[in-house]
Amino acid sequence: MSPVSATYLGIPGYVIFWVMFLVTMGLFLPRAYFLYRLMCLGKQENRFDRIGERFKNMLFVVIPQWCTLKSVTSKDLAGIGHALLFWGFSCFLVSYIVLIGISEGLGLHSYIRGGAFETGFLTVLDIAGIIVMLSMIWAAIRRYIVRPPRLEISLEAGFIMFMVFGLMVLHFCTESFGMAALGETHGLPPISSAIASYLVNAGVPKDTLMNVSYGAWWLHYAFILVFTIYIPRSKHLHVLASAPNVFFKSLDRKVVLEPIPLEALESEEPPELGVSKIQDLKWKDILDLYACAKCGRCHVSCPAQVSGKTLSPREFLRHMKDHLLEAGPGLLTKGSNGSGEATPELEGKRLVGDVVTEDEIWACTTCGACQEVCPVNIEHIRKLLEMRQNLVLVHNQMPESAQLMLRNMQTRGNPWAGAQSLRLRGDWTNDVEVKVLGESDENPSTLLWVGCTGALIDRNVLATLSLVRILNAAGVDFCVLGEAESCCGDPARRAGYEFQFQISAEENIETFKNFNIKEIITSCPHCYNALKNEYPLYGAEFKVIHYTELFAELIKQGKLKLTNDVNTLIAYHDPCYLSRYNGVYQEPREIIDRIPKAKFKEMERSKTTTFCCGGGGGHMWIEEQHGTTKINHLRMDEVIETGADTIATSCPYCLQMLEEGIEQKGVKETLKAKDLVEVVEAAMKQS
Amino acid sequence: MDNYKGVLVCGEMADGKLAPITIELLGVGRKLADELGEELSVLLLGSKSGALGQDAIAYGADNVYISEDSLFDIYNSDAYTMATANLCKKILPSIMLFGYTDIGCDLSPRLNGRLGGGLSMECSALSIDPATKLLVTTRPVFGGNALATMLSKTARPQMATIRAKVMPPAERNDSRQGKIIPLEDKVDPSALKVKVVEKIKEEVEGVKLEDAEVVVAGGRGMGTAADFAKLRELAGILGGAVGGTRVACDEGWVSATLQIGQSGKVVSPKLYLAVGLSGAMAHIAGCLGSKCIVAINKDNDANIFNVAHFGIVGDWKEILPPLTEKMKELKGK
Amino acid sequence: MNIIVCVKQVLDPEIPPAKFKVDPETKQVIPPAGVPPVISVYDERAVEAACRLKDKNKGKITVISMGSEKAADVIKHAISMGADDGFVLSDPAFENLDSFGTAYVLSKTIQKIGAYDLVLCGRQAADWGAGQVGSILAEILGIPVITLACEIEVAGTNVKVKRIVSDGFEVLEAPMPSLVTVSSEIGMPRLPAGMRLMMARKKQVPVWKAADIGAEASFLDKGNAHTEVTGLSVPSRKIECEIITGATPAEAAANLAAKLANLI
Repeated sequence: MSPVSATYLGIPGYVIFWVMFLVTMGLFLPRAYFLYRLMCLGKQENRFDRIGERFKNMLFVVIPQWCTLKSVTSKDLAGIGHALLFWGFSCFLVSYIVLIGISEGLGLHSYIRGGAFETGFLTVLDIAGIIVMLSMIWAAIRRYIVRPPRLEISLEAGFIMFMVFGLMVLHFCTESFGMAALGETHGLPPISSAIASYLVNAGVPKDTLMNVSYGAWWLHYAFILVFTIYIPRSKHLHVLASAPNVFFKSLDRKVVLEPIPLEALESEEPPELGVSKIQDLKWKDILDLYACAKCGRCHVSCPAQVSGKTLSPREFLRHMKDHLLEAGPGLLTKGSNGSGEATPELEGKRLVGDVVTEDEIWACTTCGACQEVCPVNIEHIRKLLEMRQNLVLVHNQMPESAQLMLRNMQTRGNPWAGAQSLRLRGDWTNDVEVKVLGESDENPSTLLWVGCTGALIDRNVLATLSLVRILNAAGVDFCVLGEAESCCGDPARRAGYEFQFQISAEENIETFKNFNIKEIITSCPHCYNALKNEYPLYGAEFKVIHYTELFAELIKQGKLKLTNDVNTLIAYHDPCYLSRYNGVYQEPREIIDRIPKAKFKEMERSKTTTFCCGGGGGHMWIEEQHGTTKINHLRMDEVIETGADTIATSCPYCLQMLEEGIEQKGVKETLKAKDLVEVVEAAMKQS
Repeated sequence: MDNYKGVLVCGEMADGKLAPITIELLGVGRKLADELGEELSVLLLGSKSGALGQDAIAYGADNVYISEDSLFDIYNSDAYTMATANLCKKILPSIMLFGYTDIGCDLSPRLNGRLGGGLSMECSALSIDPATKLLVTTRPVFGGNALATMLSKTARPQMATIRAKVMPPAERNDSRQGKIIPLEDKVDPSALKVKVVEKIKEEVEGVKLEDAEVVVAGGRGMGTAADFAKLRELAGILGGAVGGTRVACDEGWVSATLQIGQSGKVVSPKLYLAVGLSGAMAHIAGCLGSKCIVAINKDNDANIFNVAHFGIVGDWKEILPPLTEKMKELKGK
Repeated sequence: MNIIVCVKQVLDPEIPPAKFKVDPETKQVIPPAGVPPVISVYDERAVEAACRLKDKNKGKITVISMGSEKAADVIKHAISMGADDGFVLSDPAFENLDSFGTAYVLSKTIQKIGAYDLVLCGRQAADWGAGQVGSILAEILGIPVITLACEIEVAGTNVKVKRIVSDGFEVLEAPMPSLVTVSSEIGMPRLPAGMRLMMARKKQVPVWKAADIGAEASFLDKGNAHTEVTGLSVPSRKIECEIITGATPAEAAANLAAKLANLI
């Protein structure tokens, strides 16, 4: 049987087939091209390096559906549903090409139909069809009855589920009625055969069966074409954009910020810094907007959102996409590099300020939870940071608390300056045995980079002193910069004051080179991230490790002996910049494991799903916006729930935020916050 | 240098009377003049000056130089500088005293530049060195972190500006005798380059900051202008005034005229409540004279706790409301 | 319009008070290790005032600073905020000059620079705080001076200045060229914008010596100083602060109120 071979009201089937196809292409292709041109409005960025690796990533993420399976938890099994849907529907995609396109459209059905190949293929489709239908039922129940917070009740979602479900129903109709009409009720394909048997036994006339089958076939074809037209006009665009988005994802760094080329700035028409208009985004940022399926996983993991701030990663992406589609046509008509102004109707609708509000831009702590959980590797953080760059570098607009911190960084070389610290940078070196660089002619090639907080804030200085004593006891040969140390620049970069970061980076790298430093040990994950992942773009050539990595190694080598009992129930708060940004979460657990008598309680949100303490993204200094609660309070609730009497962490900001949380929650008597070094030192025999 | 003799006070008038600062300057001026065995003079400019001549004498002046030209009723930098400089060139005072006031801070440096003397601003103490007979001044420097002593070996006149309420006022003795001398030189109005175009009075509700017995001051920790309203509430209950640090004024949370500190007002109330301010030295310089300093700050390392008598370490948002309630209760009793 | 701003590089006023040390012999402050000097607070406001004028009216801002060769850093800071050019005046003869000496050196420099409409200074230096250089400079240059500005505008050939007084504000006008000293009430200075920050770093700031500006030795002779410092000390402040506590903030507040009962 071949629906296309028949004639309908005098018109040959294949004419109808191709006319429908061409109409669809006429509505699909220009729209797709339009979206492609919009994407080209974005700035250049090289995401074409390491092609082999990129292909592998894409294949290994998409085919085994790691994209959604990675975020499956006992409370959210939807990822499994999506995987099943994807595998099932992929089979159908193949069938559209083979059984519809080649077999019917090109008239080659005689080669394809009526053999073992067809039976086998249709058997697979039958099973896939049931799986897809069940997944759609599950999806509908979840979205409309269970109503988990991250899913929206939208017409768009409903339509897509209806279309997919409908395609499956129509497939079964086509096959089962067709088979019944031909009297084919042998066992395979199983479900279609079973329905066909029933229809034959029910005595439905052959003509009716054939008409229904053909009718279902054409309707099925129409559904496919309508769906095709719908894809580039809805969030379902993600089916086209997601695999490319994975292909083009950032391979190394979580937040891809490139050094700003100074030569460009000195030219006649310097580019505006940061992002202020939609065409200031990179093309990859625009592809991100296409790839988003509004799944809402980022929305429910964002610490700003769950503590009641206006920022939601999903929402600002949505608003940016809407704005792109609104402003896009005007920009395209002005010229292909989109240098025109926004169209007059869009006056007063600026990307920064109206489409994405300043509150949203500044609420982000850059914790990375959104990016970690996103199935399609969208890079949310960079967009916000580049908008901060524009606000700060070009318009001098930022929250007052941010401005004070940035002024301190610029005039005094660290963010803590002023009445906030009662210490001088090198004061802590007076309280412990340590080699300070420059005091003697020879110096070790290993540097301990203490960081601003560890040197200037009393509570964190205690951790620094512990760390130095431990390193001394373990026989590590290292030195420190002492008073000559200045900020790594991370707070400036996170607050959008990009050039200050560049200046700090260049000056620090110069210092390291002058003293022939080959390896740097850090105690602050923010310094760690900056020195390890960002400094290489400014010419750095040294190895960077966090003390947790070093301790784990030293314990293995027997150089660090933990023999004192430490009777405590200990929970560990993974710092975002250590676990999510850099994958260092096993080592702290290995260390805790070796502490005699210490019992470890894992929190639910831990390792790469850790929940932010609220101190990142410049927020140690930038005032937290008003919401329903404070971010560190939410984390404290989790900590208190473990019943632990020690909460350990390995980040100075986290330590500060946890201490503050303990104070504010009034649990000082029962819970102590410690840097992991302090717990380690307690486990070491005093010499 | 030797022909410079006597102490000259550049006086000010307020509400038709001698300004309190002038009475204080006459007090210290009299002491200095007596130690030198020289005369104390005072200069009063403005239409009310004639009527106050006797008062000035009663407070210790030997000579009162006056000009009743109404040109001087509103302070004009050019006019005052010209008139004062003309007088100084005639009478050659060895020492000149000014208040650290709107007039004094503007007039003294300019006059110093014109006459080529030696000026110490914001002196906390004045004395005559017995051996050299030079004026020795003591003044805070480095934002109040240090005290410097200064003198002028050869430059004349030796000038000093002093804040209100630093020196005790002169004793009044109505039986004292003295001379009232009108100035000879007139100031030509057309020679004045600087013109006062407008005066905008800031209506401060309630007690004036400088006179208040209770001051409630807020700093960076306040956060918004609306938060300052809570300080006003407490100040109102206690019958006091509200002030702010430089940061709070910069941010516009409180009027710039209510800035307390080295570059603002200096207050010495019975009770000074420092809320949400860290206590940078430049601010503390403005409140150190207070009898009792109370600090509320969530950072227990804040410098304010080094100068406060009482303190609570905590968030003012949680402490101020119950404190205000309790104060209301206590005041009611 | 041509604006000249005088700035001074000073010891960071925000060092922890406990770290502040003086040498009574040399009557100097001992700068704590590792703390970079900064631009004087009020001078930075003067630069900000100049930048605001430049934003509104076309103009050129030249910044001058008398100090050590490190003063080039404050010139660069001013350039990163919006100034166009700058000069450092550094010479052993310029060390430890009093207000008159300083004003003299600045006046010779301004004469060398040439035509100007406005000279801006901070109301006082954040370190010694003598508060006179601006006015003395105006006297030497023979131009009008307005002090304690919190807002500066250009009105034709006049400069219109809003200044702060104890009970409010005054608005004054004076013909240019004139000198205005700026107070902190002018508001927060701008954060140096991105590009200017990088531009300023690369700037070579010329250093002028006494001979370059034609400064005569008699005016720089310390023996002729108008004022000298005869002593420098750190006053001791010994106050034990009684920290009031309570099980809750409300209780602590109540305890505090009880302590203050006899004062209100």
